[in-house]
Amino acid sequence: MNLHNDLKETRLKKNFTQEALAGVVGVTRQTIIAIEKEKFVPSVKLALELASALDTPIGKMFWLENSQGEKP
Amino acid sequence: MTGMKSYYVSRAIISVAFGALFATGSTWWTGILVGALAFAWFLLAPHIGRYSVHPEFGITALRRDERAQAINDKAARNAFIISMLVLGGMIVYFGTFALTSAPIAIFKWLLILGVLIYYASDFWLRKALS
Repeated sequence: MNLHNDLKETRLKKNFTQEALAGVVGVTRQTIIAIEKEKFVPSVKLALELASALDTPIGKMFWLENSQGEKP
Repeated sequence: MTGMKSYYVSRAIISVAFGALFATGSTWWTGILVGALAFAWFLLAPHIGRYSVHPEFGITALRRDERAQAINDKAARNAFIISMLVLGGMIVYFGTFALTSAPIAIFKWLLILGVLIYYASDFWLRKALS
């Protein structure tokens, strides 16, 4: 099961730039880019920090693909 | 990039010390060149996106974030595994076919190989994970 995310959409909705979000959670902009492109799976701690920074429930922003390959 | 004074001051001191080390073993201009290059790298480092910047940590303001740490770990693992496989291969070769002891010089080349594999892996992983 792959981990997917809505980080980019959520970030844009909350008017954060990649740079600003990276600064809030203490990572590089490259890490935000990699997470948005789903090339890097963040730790639970970083995922929680991102959800907290964007004031969004973590389950809405990150989810595991179900057996049909869809968002549950 | 406010609050980075202690980082820059500490790196200036390190650059001067590094340059002085080279100047004692080589020419004075080599020392100045090496010191200047080191300081240029330290000036550039907070802006290239390789490290996350935390001014609150003072002289250790530049940190690897978890993606950079994962890349570093994988690159080090690749370098170690390949170097050990090559070393094992050479020991088998010298013990079985060449029938002599492995020359000590191979360790220098093994170290160089390990460093090259580390940086090649680091470069490739940074491309793959971005």
